[in-house]
Amino acid sequence: MDLVVSVLAVLAYATIAHADSDLERGRRIFHATGGCSCHTNYPDEGEDAPWLAGGRPLETPFGVYYSTNITPDPETGLGRWNDADFIRAMREGLSPEDQHYFPIFPYTAFSGISDRDLVDLKAYLDSLPPIKRANRNPDAAFPFSWRAPIAAWKWLNFEPGRIEMVPDRSTIWNRGNYLVRAMAHCGECHTPRTPTGGLDLSMWLAGSLDGPEGELAPNITPHRATGIGDWSIPDLVWYLEMGIKPDGDDTQGMMSEVIEHGYTNLPASDLEAIASYLKSIPPIENELRSK
Amino acid sequence: MIRSMPFSSLPSPSLLRCAIALIPMLCFGLASGARADVAGDDMPSVEYRQTVMSIIGRNMGAMGDIMKNRLVLPGHVAVHAGQIAEMAQLIAPAFKKNVATDLTDAKPEIWQDWAKFEAAVADLGEAARNLEAAAKGSNAASVGPAMKALGKSCGGCHKPFRRPKEESFKTKSQHHDDDGDEDHDHDGHG
Repeated sequence: MDLVVSVLAVLAYATIAHADSDLERGRRIFHATGGCSCHTNYPDEGEDAPWLAGGRPLETPFGVYYSTNITPDPETGLGRWNDADFIRAMREGLSPEDQHYFPIFPYTAFSGISDRDLVDLKAYLDSLPPIKRANRNPDAAFPFSWRAPIAAWKWLNFEPGRIEMVPDRSTIWNRGNYLVRAMAHCGECHTPRTPTGGLDLSMWLAGSLDGPEGELAPNITPHRATGIGDWSIPDLVWYLEMGIKPDGDDTQGMMSEVIEHGYTNLPASDLEAIASYLKSIPPIENELRSK
Repeated sequence: MIRSMPFSSLPSPSLLRCAIALIPMLCFGLASGARADVAGDDMPSVEYRQTVMSIIGRNMGAMGDIMKNRLVLPGHVAVHAGQIAEMAQLIAPAFKKNVATDLTDAKPEIWQDWAKFEAAVADLGEAARNLEAAAKGSNAASVGPAMKALGKSCGGCHKPFRRPKEESFKTKSQHHDDDGDEDHDHDGHG
């Protein structure tokens, strides 16, 4: 009898330990996304803003969109979602009610995240405190306030699917490719957009004047004069960890948030992978001047 | 309407009042014109505070050079952190005078909310002293978090009180620094 009890105890412990490690993996993915910072209204409500409860205004050339509540609150957040709902939202930009999400939600990037990582991310989000706060409709003119036309937008600009390993590239490069393109979704701000609002992939990470909240997002290709070609890999790792540039200046705008609430918590191996990938992409000459 | 008035008639009392009311407005206009001229004389104090801020930036950069490249330079981080703490004491007096010039990224909020500005500057000094102590101490693991906290304290003042780079007077002016030297970037942010 004692033996049975102890075996059961060990099994129970093993289950808990497993769950903990999933949670830990999920936390790492959460940080790799930049701490889902768009979903907390830091600019208007400060450091004590309801964490991940949404309501943050995001200015775009198409109008102002408000981030959503991703806490596990059953009424206003993701509390009633199952794993499949979460995967579909992140991979296809579709709600459990089959509505299209506005592409301000970067499912275009998150689509590349693996099922396992998405499920772990959801487990982590589910472990956080639920907060009741209803989602807000966008302040945008027709047709940018409607969800139905997003189907056409997706057809033009969106190719759902996971990011696959590139066999002839190193493990660290592949990790960086996965982090930059999918989880950290760097391109969403740092790549300029076409007139229809899709990413202009010929200008991959070459900077954009229309970053979120109207901020300029710098050229982060390794172009020497107009990009970050003079940043070393340690410079980049240090920057993503500390938020301090090689010249000793601190980080501005939204980037400071995704570092503080996200990237700074990543293991050094992930930061090195991001840095290696960024150093490997084609340098693009693109001098950005604010409007 | 004035043209249609007969020349013989005097201006109406309301017109006179308008003219009198214009006098202080004209004076104010002249005064603000004069202020723009005086701005040249104020430049030294703007340049001074920009230099103070750039010394802090240089020390931050130097500590980064040491730590991110794992340079073996015992005691150096503590010296740089100590210098930042010393410089932090100069910030409030350097900014005390509200100078009217376009050649600054200092936001008017500094003088509108002086107490908050002073508190943010005090946070910088404290964070720098903490890093100095951590760097001098035996617990190497405490240096990283102290550095992070110091970096955050920069933003604690820059976010509310410094114009973002997009709106910087340097970005706006056509005298763009094209030599590609990143180090110059920090200098103008007084």
